[in-house]
Amino acid sequence: MAPLQKRAWWGLAIGLVFAVAFVLVFVLMGGIETFDTDQGFRITINVLWVGGLVANLIILNLTLRKPGMVDERDRMILDRAPRIQWLAVVFTLVAWVIALNEVYRATDLIPAVYLYVIFMSVLIVSTLAQCLGIVIGYWRANRYG
Amino acid sequence: MANASINNRIRRLRFDHGEMTQEELAQRVGCTRQTIIALEQGKYVPSIELAFKIARAFGVTLEDVFQYEE
Repeated sequence: MAPLQKRAWWGLAIGLVFAVAFVLVFVLMGGIETFDTDQGFRITINVLWVGGLVANLIILNLTLRKPGMVDERDRMILDRAPRIQWLAVVFTLVAWVIALNEVYRATDLIPAVYLYVIFMSVLIVSTLAQCLGIVIGYWRANRYG
Repeated sequence: MANASINNRIRRLRFDHGEMTQEELAQRVGCTRQTIIALEQGKYVPSIELAFKIARAFGVTLEDVFQYEE
């Protein structure tokens, strides 16, 4: 397994753990209403969010900086990963638009805190999708060339 | 351009050069072992730069390593 491929798997695993922890903590600690009023809750969520992103950044960047770890084939696969990222981000935003529109249609008023939650979720999805894009890239390269 | 392919003799050349390992060749030309594996399996076509490096690692010309077939 190429070093970048191995890091992408690690990034995906760690990212998923952080994402699941993020969702669980968010739901178990009271959801959107508590998030708006409880500062301790917001700090916990921010730590999980930023921690996951930084962990992922370190994992991928450490690989890219070491000489000889990434070659032209790896870079080609890395350059194609944003296609998956872009799709994942678009679908996440579409899901948010549809869900919020359906839930708050009657009130015509979407709580401002959702801006923060949407932004966090898009960044998490984008980071996970980058790792997934790399993993799929290697799978396709090994299977179809 | 239909059915054109680029084949290579990297596996044969490695064998002829003292059974050079994929790892050794990868280190000499500055790529990963996985790229050498993909090249030998015909699943990756290298850049001109890498192709020249591979040819030089074996001390042969580019066309001794890579063949373009239509």
